[in-house]
Amino acid sequence: MNSIHNFPKLLLPLLAAVILLLAPACQRDKQKFNTDNLPPIKGEVMAKLTVAPEVPPRIQAKTNTKVIVHLEIVEQVMRLADGVEYNFWTFGGVVPGKFIRVRQGDLVEFHLHNHPDNMFPHNIDLHAVTGPGGGAEATLIAPGKSAQFSFRALNEGLYVYHCATAPVGMHIANGMYGLILVEPLAGMSPVDHEFYVMQSEFYTSGRFGERGLQEFDMQKALDENPDYVVMNGAVGASAGENAMQVKVGETVRLFLGNGGPNLVSSFHAIGEIFDKVYIEGGSMYTENVQTTLIPAGGSAIVEFKCEVPGTLHLVDHSIFRAFNKGAIAQIKVIGEENHDVFSGKEKETVYLPEGSAIQKVGERKDASEEVVSERTLEERLEKGESLYKQNCLACHMDQGKGVIGVFPPLNNSDFLQARDDKGFGIIVNGLQGEIVVNGTSYNNIMPAMHMSDDNIASVMTYIFTELNNGGGLINAADVRQWREKNK
Amino acid sequence: MKIIGFYKLLIIGLLCLPGLKSSGQQQDMAFIEGGTYKPFVKGDKEEVPVNAFWMDKKAVTNTDYQRFVEANPQWSKENAKRIFADSNYLYHWPDSGLSQHSGPPDGAPVVNVSWFAAKAYCEWQNKRLPKLHEWEFVARAFPKNDVSADSLQRIISDWYSNRLKHDFLVGSVYQNTYGVWDMHGLVWEWVYDFNSIVMNNDGRNQEEMPEGLFCGSASLNANDATDYAAFVRFAFRTSLKGNYNLRKLGFRCAK
Repeated sequence: MNSIHNFPKLLLPLLAAVILLLAPACQRDKQKFNTDNLPPIKGEVMAKLTVAPEVPPRIQAKTNTKVIVHLEIVEQVMRLADGVEYNFWTFGGVVPGKFIRVRQGDLVEFHLHNHPDNMFPHNIDLHAVTGPGGGAEATLIAPGKSAQFSFRALNEGLYVYHCATAPVGMHIANGMYGLILVEPLAGMSPVDHEFYVMQSEFYTSGRFGERGLQEFDMQKALDENPDYVVMNGAVGASAGENAMQVKVGETVRLFLGNGGPNLVSSFHAIGEIFDKVYIEGGSMYTENVQTTLIPAGGSAIVEFKCEVPGTLHLVDHSIFRAFNKGAIAQIKVIGEENHDVFSGKEKETVYLPEGSAIQKVGERKDASEEVVSERTLEERLEKGESLYKQNCLACHMDQGKGVIGVFPPLNNSDFLQARDDKGFGIIVNGLQGEIVVNGTSYNNIMPAMHMSDDNIASVMTYIFTELNNGGGLINAADVRQWREKNK
Repeated sequence: MKIIGFYKLLIIGLLCLPGLKSSGQQQDMAFIEGGTYKPFVKGDKEEVPVNAFWMDKKAVTNTDYQRFVEANPQWSKENAKRIFADSNYLYHWPDSGLSQHSGPPDGAPVVNVSWFAAKAYCEWQNKRLPKLHEWEFVARAFPKNDVSADSLQRIISDWYSNRLKHDFLVGSVYQNTYGVWDMHGLVWEWVYDFNSIVMNNDGRNQEEMPEGLFCGSASLNANDATDYAAFVRFAFRTSLKGNYNLRKLGFRCAK
């Protein structure tokens, strides 16, 4: 009896010791504050706020200090996508709102200003605040008014802030969110680059890409059915020419947020593995992660080293949001190839499974050798449209609009129209490397499409005629002739 | 034709009837027959009675307000007491007062006026500020030229989205079925009891809110939680104090 009873008693301290030994491996050294004996505040600094994807430098003072933050609320019409505008409600004139950086233990004196030309009352709820409404109740202000309150940053972590004025959902849906980092007094481990990326969605009266000034659609917001899911406030805001840039061998830390208002993000970097993820922006981290979940009104910190050159696509891996609603940001990694890590395509060969009833060696006709009777323009357009939807739409988008900086447009494409081969070569051989289409540069890879001459003729007839590239019927014979010449 | 003509006369006659009851100045006001309505914020009762009253057809303009200031110098830009009107009072007027060649257009609604100033103006006119329920009752009426909830909703959402194009003059947005202009789409408007309902931020603190009419705990107490335009108006009023002067806040009077 006695020995059995004592065994767990002996085991407990042992277990505790093991846990204590293991804990530092996956948890930052966390200082616990006694709120009756807070660290003294020395001096004061004016917080430097930044626009995404930039992150402010950390505050250098050795001891805790008073950090003065001024944030101005501005309602203004800005770009949501090319040709699409929206009346955004913003913290600091930008979506997502400006990034705020303080240290654990700092005293934050917060000044919120509602611009006099604004139409609506606003306030702020900072998830980093310990106190009623996260500051919301202390800051409700009419246009032309300022509010001030102070708080101690008790808990370290990466926190979302947002407007919490009724109707809350509408204020958030119009762009009112941002991030505040509360880092350890001594700072986080040094990295080469820190970036700020925040996902959110927009509910517009018009469908994705519909031009003009769009209005907020309450019904779509209630249905949680957004037309736009974006990184950093607009389609392409941090992609293409606006992509973040790093060099091979450099380390990157991303401060990630999700403003919602509704969707949860399955955050993923195409072409990279996260070495470390601070789960939900807190103190605990996990390692070697492919996709991390960021709740609406939540955050994550991810770290990785860029080993090879190329473009990393930061996406919500609920993938239609990325390729069809805008949720893509990019990091361009510049530098020398490292073939020990990634070879690139070494070779591409025809794959012929054995024992297949359909594709026996010798029976399979080369795609180019099919003999078909030609079709009329109407037939080609009908076939071409369905082929476009099957093969092209996922990247080049509806109506060939493309995704700015990521997938080139096919609609009225100067690049396509200037080619002698009517684009056959791109379909047959694929295309990679930097190109300029309608004034925007693209650097991506399109794989070779294994399509018959007949199908290439149909899809290109569709692209030339329906997508404003000058029109004209293309025959299978045209494709065959091109193949002959370019064997 | 004759029958139509007869009915037209009858309707015009009926519309004129209330006018006959009062003095001549009522041509600028619309008679609101009253009734009951379901207020946005739930009170003790589902339905609230609204007695018959008169409402200005248009918001008070800069020109109207200038006449008031001339007759009541204590309400001039430099004389107004800060406790009744903060430093933004008549911000958009030149310091010397409104003249013909400077400042905002005559027919634009006067803004940057406090609740105290608006109340004084209405009293000078032998009128009063409309009560919240009266204002909301009239604001629910559909546009005259397209009598539907959709067309009213469109005006509001276009206004909120900065899509509404008009020349910022009273009588330029829309007239409702009462003949009252621009209840939405031009400026916010003061009501007499603007702070009787407190929309406590997002209304997450239901249990801390006082009961009854003063209970404005947003989504929990709203009659229609999807009526975001009403949320916006009630939140807006909650953010005000009586001496505030805002660039997009004007008023009209009732009687």
